[in-house]
Amino acid sequence: MAGMAKEESKMICRRCGAEMNHHSDKIVYAADPEQAAPTELTLGGFMEEFHTCPKCGGGASRHN
Amino acid sequence: MEPRPLYIPVILGTTRMGRMSAHVAQLLMEEVSKQPGIETDLIDIAKVPLPTNDAGEAIRHADFSDKMNRADALVVVSPEYNHGYCGLLKHVLDSCLKEYIHKAVGIVGVSAGPFGGTRVIQNLLPVMRELGLVTIFWDVNFSTVQKAFDDNGKLLDDSYIRRIDKFLQELIWMAKTLRHGREQISLS
Repeated sequence: MAGMAKEESKMICRRCGAEMNHHSDKIVYAADPEQAAPTELTLGGFMEEFHTCPKCGGGASRHN
Repeated sequence: MEPRPLYIPVILGTTRMGRMSAHVAQLLMEEVSKQPGIETDLIDIAKVPLPTNDAGEAIRHADFSDKMNRADALVVVSPEYNHGYCGLLKHVLDSCLKEYIHKAVGIVGVSAGPFGGTRVIQNLLPVMRELGLVTIFWDVNFSTVQKAFDDNGKLLDDSYIRRIDKFLQELIWMAKTLRHGREQISLS
């Protein structure tokens, strides 16, 4: 729906179990054929999300 | 509840034998450790055992990765070799990525000549940016480093302490601000 924020599943901290905060995205250009197919066609690579735990400070990432 | 201490390790960014930057890195670590609420370590890239027949995140070293993940900010001590940085510093930095995102970094340039590593700092800035680190606008420049310390690594020019203190105050402010952002402010 126009104007509605995209829903996403929260990452859960592997150290303490708290919900993590999604604070950054980075476009990754991969040469590896298995990763090279762009999932973000307009950007030409795949998107990596970066999350941090507000409770223990641990970080994690995942491919979109 | 006491806030978690900030963790700001100091990276010694050269493997060269006889490196004067070791004195600089030791001094920086001592000055960081004097700051209240801050924990630190000295990370010598010569002791990060990475292979050289591959590169990037594929060769991530668990201990170095854990320290980068825990870090709120980094101090990188880099000598200037032929106007650039030590290739093995780049090799070690490139072994991580997600560990650096939205964390602060301050660079300490070291040179035997009069320019205090200004060119190596300029060369490192775009690398730091692409790694997701946030650079501060204070640097520390050690010129003619061979005259700045005695043979035992004792600092001979106290004026560096004032500059290091200003550099660290800015780095700590940025580290606190970015920790708040990482943990509390969502991208969307």
